[in-house]
Amino acid sequence: MESFSFAALQPITGAFWPYLVVIVIGFFPTEIWRTLGVLIGKGLNEDSEVFHWVRMIAAGLVTAVVAKLLLSANGALATLPLWGRLAAIVIGVVVMLLTKRSILLGLFAGEVAILVIGAIA
Amino acid sequence: MADDINSSQGRASEQHLAEPLTKSTFVQILLRGGRDALSLPSITICLSLIGVGGLARDIGYPLMAAVLSSALMWAGPAQVLLFGSIASGAAFPAIAVAILFSSLRFLPMTISLVPLLNNPKRPLWHLLLAAHLVSITNWVEGMRRLPDIPAEERFPYFCGFGTMVLLAGTLASGVGFFLIGAFPPALAAALLFTTPLFFSLNIIAAVKAWPDLMPVVFAIILTPIATWLVGKDYDLVAAGLVGGTAAYLIERSYRKRRSKRAQAELGS
Repeated sequence: MESFSFAALQPITGAFWPYLVVIVIGFFPTEIWRTLGVLIGKGLNEDSEVFHWVRMIAAGLVTAVVAKLLLSANGALATLPLWGRLAAIVIGVVVMLLTKRSILLGLFAGEVAILVIGAIA
Repeated sequence: MADDINSSQGRASEQHLAEPLTKSTFVQILLRGGRDALSLPSITICLSLIGVGGLARDIGYPLMAAVLSSALMWAGPAQVLLFGSIASGAAFPAIAVAILFSSLRFLPMTISLVPLLNNPKRPLWHLLLAAHLVSITNWVEGMRRLPDIPAEERFPYFCGFGTMVLLAGTLASGVGFFLIGAFPPALAAALLFTTPLFFSLNIIAAVKAWPDLMPVVFAIILTPIATWLVGKDYDLVAAGLVGGTAAYLIERSYRKRRSKRAQAELGS
């Protein structure tokens, strides 16, 4: 493994290098899960117990990704304090509930809140 | 929007279901899906992916590499991981493995979406095409909208909807390529904040019964614990699996109790 370096291919591939990287390092590892998902999911019934279970796991995994983005933020989001990030979510949710569940207005309010908190914190 | 769904439901029941769609109806539903995606979902994805273009340009990659990453990978966190890791000089095999792990969510997301789109006559490539459109935005919207749409219309609707969101996101990452350096830190933070905010709002708006909230509550509590317990490589998988399974067990007993009660009421 150590003797072969993927990056050593760069002189051969030249200008196509970035596209090769995006396809091999980026596209393949993400698309493989979608392809596997189709192969497993096409035999499943909408009312089956497995379907209910997998749906809950999917919701759990997506929430975990989002929770990690929020709680242990890195990059520009890390410049904001944790309370600020959570407060902006709460403001967005409250505005949404007050406006007959308008997600668009909730999103707008939450974004404004994070900008204001970023300015004062 | 709600009227759209109701009227098409009425149409399907008149035809006694499962009539294959004609070509023109197919295109009509495809376009309706695209139109429904034009407002909120497209705005959200544009805000989420606009930063990706700048990351690609930071490491000296061309515009089309940023655009291609959105069209092919179609996974904001993984794209940030890809360009960010190259910038920090990580080894390519290590980056590939990190992306593989961070994208595991697409497996249960796709498995749970496919039965809504499938029928015995649908060719495999249709499903593969639809699966490529799966992202947090498209999955959340799909799981919420598709059950209310007649079975035959779901595939064209989801393809129209998902493709519109994908085009919007791809375009945004291209535009973002030229905006690098133009973002003050506060604005950059607000852009990164879009996905968590959009997801939180959607989850709460989509709750029909309290068990729907269970996987969310469990995952929020379990994610920090899992990071501490199994480390930052496997924490998401662990929190999602354990939290999702616990939520399923609760949801199942809720479902069983409700159907028992419904049967009892029918019997009396």
